[in-house]
Amino acid sequence: MLLSTSLPLAIVIPAAVLIVIAAVFAVLLAFLGRKLEVKRDEKVVQVESLLSGANCGGCGYAGCSAFAEALANGKADLSACNATSKANKDKIAAILGTVNDGEEMSFVVCCNGGSACEDKYDYHGYGDCASMELLAGGRKACPVGCMGAGTCVKHCDHHACSIGDKGYASIREDRCTLCGKCAKSCPKGLIKKIPARAKVYVACSNHAKGKDVRSYCKGGCIGCGMCMRNCPEGAITVVDNLAVIDYAKCIGCGACVAKCPSKCIKTREE
Amino acid sequence: MNPYFVIIIGAIFVNNFVLNQFLGICPFLGVSKKTNTALGMGFAVIFVMSIASVFTYLVNEFVLVKFGLEYMKTIAFILIIAALVQSVEIVIKKFSPSLYSALGVYLPLITTNCAVLGVALLNVEKAYNLVQSFLNGVFAGVGFTLAIVLLAGVRERIVPKNVPESFRGFPITLIAAAILSMAFSAFSGMFGIV
Repeated sequence: MLLSTSLPLAIVIPAAVLIVIAAVFAVLLAFLGRKLEVKRDEKVVQVESLLSGANCGGCGYAGCSAFAEALANGKADLSACNATSKANKDKIAAILGTVNDGEEMSFVVCCNGGSACEDKYDYHGYGDCASMELLAGGRKACPVGCMGAGTCVKHCDHHACSIGDKGYASIREDRCTLCGKCAKSCPKGLIKKIPARAKVYVACSNHAKGKDVRSYCKGGCIGCGMCMRNCPEGAITVVDNLAVIDYAKCIGCGACVAKCPSKCIKTREE
Repeated sequence: MNPYFVIIIGAIFVNNFVLNQFLGICPFLGVSKKTNTALGMGFAVIFVMSIASVFTYLVNEFVLVKFGLEYMKTIAFILIIAALVQSVEIVIKKFSPSLYSALGVYLPLITTNCAVLGVALLNVEKAYNLVQSFLNGVFAGVGFTLAIVLLAGVRERIVPKNVPESFRGFPITLIAAAILSMAFSAFSGMFGIV
């Protein structure tokens, strides 16, 4: 028996044995760590450093690092990420050897109804737009009118969505991280992507005939074509009774905003 | 009776680590929301328990006993298990990425699991030899897997049900675990194993 009865040794020996065991493991771990180091793919590291780092999950992956890995493996598409800036996306595309054709986008709510749009019924039920939608397609007379019950507000983690005093949703761009959860959550699909540089947008999604739209909503697009005729660049067309802006041509002069009788083409600042 | 058979049945059913000895309750409750994650956790525990049993046996036999330091076994075993899990993680990360991603986050999680330490200490207490220690480690892990998968199955069925509000979530899980534990107590004395 090596253990001495004298007190100092009774402490020193166990401590020494433990220290030796620990040291052996420390050396082993250090050795293994050095020898068997798994090199993370250089591409993945670079891509991840260029992604926004918002970890919003808007792309459908667990976070930016999972998305970076999927990108490097060619499983994901760069356009799935809304939060990364265009400059960084270009750099990522260069690393991946692909082309970034998407441009920086932002989200707008394409409805101008709210209190200007008639209600079909008074809703006293539980919940938000999603549950209202189940009851005869929502309370608004317009089949694609914002119901203003705040499903997007609930889904936004950054307090960017709100229901204004006009009764429809709006998005504060300074808070928006472009995660896209609101767009997915809206049962009417009213939250749409437009280029971030766009100055104007059509705040209506209704394809019904002008007369029908007029009958229930004062703010809806009636497809009159005033914007189309007054646009100096020919950027606006009326498709299925709804004005559509071609942002490749739009110069943001605001002629359409001034001429629209329903005031449903809006400038972004509003 | 064959002593190996006794160890196997004892580790899985009669002295189930979770349900009869109440070790490793933390992962048992924490990772039992879904059956497949529970299964992943179970396999990680089997894996770690079996290698931990072997290594702690060797260290105990050839280091601690030799220096008369058996009373230090708890702290020494913690050290060994932690270092072992880390090195195993490094090795399988290198040589078997698929196994690494299958075990995933559970492997480092169970570094400090008391069930793993418990298996090592019980091996010493019961004076098992190397083979017996290894068997006890493997089948204690199997017992853990059985328990956690059973609870996960129960939880998956309970969650969508209309549970009274005060019992919803964790309380009903604890009740389910308790009933499961009582059911397992029926195994005590099976084949004369205590």
